[in-house]
Amino acid sequence: MIEMALVVGLLAITLRTASPLLLASLGETIAERGGILNLGIEGAMLIGAFSGFLGAYFTGSLVVGFITAIIGGILTVLLFGILVIKVNLDQVVSGLAINLLATGLSLYFFRIAFSQGNFPYLGQLIDPMPIPGLSGIPIIGDILFNQTIFVYIGLLSVPLIYWILFKTSFGLRLRSIGEDPFVASYLGINVERTRFISLIVEGIFVGMAGGLLTISMFNTFDTRIVAARGFVAVSIVILGRWNPWGALTGSLLFGFTQALSLWIGTFLVGPAAPSISQLLSLLPYVVTLLALVVGGRKVRGPASLGSPFAKE
Amino acid sequence: MPLPFIFSTGIEEGLSKQASFSGGSEIDHLSDYALYVRGISKTFSNGVVANNDVTFGIIKGEVHALLGENGAGKTTLMKILSGCLKPDRGEIYVNGVKTRISDPRKAVQLGIGMVHQHFTLIPTFTVAENIALVSSSSRKLELKAVEDKVRHVSKSLNFEINPNTRIEELPVGARQKVEILRLLCQDVSILILDEPTSVLTPLEVEDFFRIIRQLKNDGKSVIIITHKVKEALSISDRITIMRGGKTILTIPSSQTNASELASYVVEGFIPNLKRVPTARGEPTLSVKGLFIKGDRGEMAVKGLDLSVHSGEIVGLAGVTGNGQKELVEALTGLRKVEGGSISLKTCDLANKPPNFVINSGISYIPEDRMRRGVILGMTISENLALKRIDKEPYSKKMLIDKEALDKSAKELISIFGIKASDPCATAGSLSGGNIQKLIVARELTNAPNIVIAEQPTAGLDVKASEAVHQKLLDLKSKGAAILLISADLDEIMKLSDRVLIVFGGKIVGEFSSDSLDMEKLSKLMLGSE
Repeated sequence: MIEMALVVGLLAITLRTASPLLLASLGETIAERGGILNLGIEGAMLIGAFSGFLGAYFTGSLVVGFITAIIGGILTVLLFGILVIKVNLDQVVSGLAINLLATGLSLYFFRIAFSQGNFPYLGQLIDPMPIPGLSGIPIIGDILFNQTIFVYIGLLSVPLIYWILFKTSFGLRLRSIGEDPFVASYLGINVERTRFISLIVEGIFVGMAGGLLTISMFNTFDTRIVAARGFVAVSIVILGRWNPWGALTGSLLFGFTQALSLWIGTFLVGPAAPSISQLLSLLPYVVTLLALVVGGRKVRGPASLGSPFAKE
Repeated sequence: MPLPFIFSTGIEEGLSKQASFSGGSEIDHLSDYALYVRGISKTFSNGVVANNDVTFGIIKGEVHALLGENGAGKTTLMKILSGCLKPDRGEIYVNGVKTRISDPRKAVQLGIGMVHQHFTLIPTFTVAENIALVSSSSRKLELKAVEDKVRHVSKSLNFEINPNTRIEELPVGARQKVEILRLLCQDVSILILDEPTSVLTPLEVEDFFRIIRQLKNDGKSVIIITHKVKEALSISDRITIMRGGKTILTIPSSQTNASELASYVVEGFIPNLKRVPTARGEPTLSVKGLFIKGDRGEMAVKGLDLSVHSGEIVGLAGVTGNGQKELVEALTGLRKVEGGSISLKTCDLANKPPNFVINSGISYIPEDRMRRGVILGMTISENLALKRIDKEPYSKKMLIDKEALDKSAKELISIFGIKASDPCATAGSLSGGNIQKLIVARELTNAPNIVIAEQPTAGLDVKASEAVHQKLLDLKSKGAAILLISADLDEIMKLSDRVLIVFGGKIVGEFSSDSLDMEKLSKLMLGSE
């Protein structure tokens, strides 16, 4: 039964490590369906992580941290939105600028808030919340129903976002903008407003994805904490073909390889163990790259993704 | 030519008012008009006066053709009526009530809808989704209801369409029907169609006319923008002629004829193509068993054979998307050939780079002139010299001789009548017609062996078109082999010595110019024979 416990543990960790990617890629899926390629997602996650940490640290309340993370995510994505929708700047350049800004800002305020050499930690973390009744089911209970709130939100959002994108008028309008904003605008659809709504939703998800890193996973803040998860989320969106179910699959793939590399790492002994385990931590990124090469080659995204929309 | 009957009393009162516009009293008759505009003027930011004090009216339940040259202001006027453009001045009356049309949605609410030349459908969406985009008011997407409505409305027009088909899978003719369907689903009573037949084969045109008549029977008013006189005569109840941004006159179709209309459309224009009888020479371009892949990896050209002799114009007729684009790109070195051969006399051209093709004496007039024909940010003289910029006299010892460039540009500008202030102005400052003249000037000088002309006169006015046609005929008489690819069958028939029909990536039929069978040709174009 030890092997069984290991597998269950591996799958449970898969969900945990997948959850920031799932939340971020769900948010990015919505934005990209509306034609906005937000490479600033990395920066927005960082601000989410930082604002969540600050909120939780200074109030001592994880709920406050959860909320400030979301606010930080929304504000960062909205700033990006203003740059690309209102000012009509290039989406890729604006996204990269947001990432630089986020690193600079979070580092600056981190230094102001905490003296150098002082490594602040949160007294508590958002822990798994077993769901009464369901968490008692053998195997499945431990994998699915003994998780953090972020995992539950992520999993429940998959069908919800699918429904919004494909079964509501809003989703149809958003997708039409992603295909051709000029036609959408001609047909009387408010391109700017619809895109801002999609970005606010993205901000909520990305804020949570960042926040969970500090207030649920790592307990502290560092400007490197996001570790390219935002960019991975962007590739998961491609891999998942701009579909929430695909985003779930892609996130689980990444989460699983990450959990696997951590798990293998625990068996390593000897002087070479640290360097091998460092090498192993590359595995998820390599697998994502390979998955993109195999599965992301002939996919067709929203036709106007990343292209500017300016009314004459 | 005097036209006394337009102003005579023989015609219904509203019509004579239309022709005379004698202020004041026509207010009484405004209610006869589904739509009436007066004094519409529109000047674009680049200074072009597109509409100048235009007055125009459409009576309820009529089919009205708006006839005129490219650039006469027809589309501008209709875009104003459908809310896409705002007029500088003028009044618009819908059912006798003065209104302002602020945007396309407002126009649709007033019952005015337009089908543009460039369709406003989302290719990856289904028919029903495209229609739900504008007609679904509920939060939840009621696709079932939309599908039922699509079936119901299309049935009333006697055609079948599966509401669950994606637009990209539909032929152009069906997409046009979807555009019309979408307007009908929004209860539009005035339909404006911009050059609707330019994308259709002759057989599809018949079907399209049938739908227009059906719409008329259902009490809809239809405005058809066209530059084809014959078409205006055959489908419309009345015809309004526009020229130079003004409406020249409105006349019932039954009281006029083609030559009379033509003389109004282009003032004082008499077609005058000079043809020098030319003997057909040796085959210059021969293509055998050609296979080419399309953008999505599918085989777009499947074993195509053709040959063009010197002193011959071969017209390639076919519905867009049957491999013409891939063929042209392979001939010009822009696309890889998977199998078969392309040869110029004895020289192999398959899978050779474009500069090799250019140096072999193949000229190319591309369909997408803005992106393939010129570099908009470079000057006119640079664009004219671009294909030979590394050769004498344009370059000496790797250095560009700007004076030689400008001198040769000035010559070409005057020979080809390009309206340009200065050879050093950017190509982007020219109008579309003049950009085409620039491309033609570059491609048709230096005695090319082969000319590949792709939609060479699309968007040009009659005079500019004739200049291009004349140049092609001149080259032919000098022994060039010319391959003409055009969606305009009239153009193909006017110039070609032989007409080849392409369907599904193959040549499926051939006619010599004196034995054209239009019905057979249409069927071949649609692949139904």
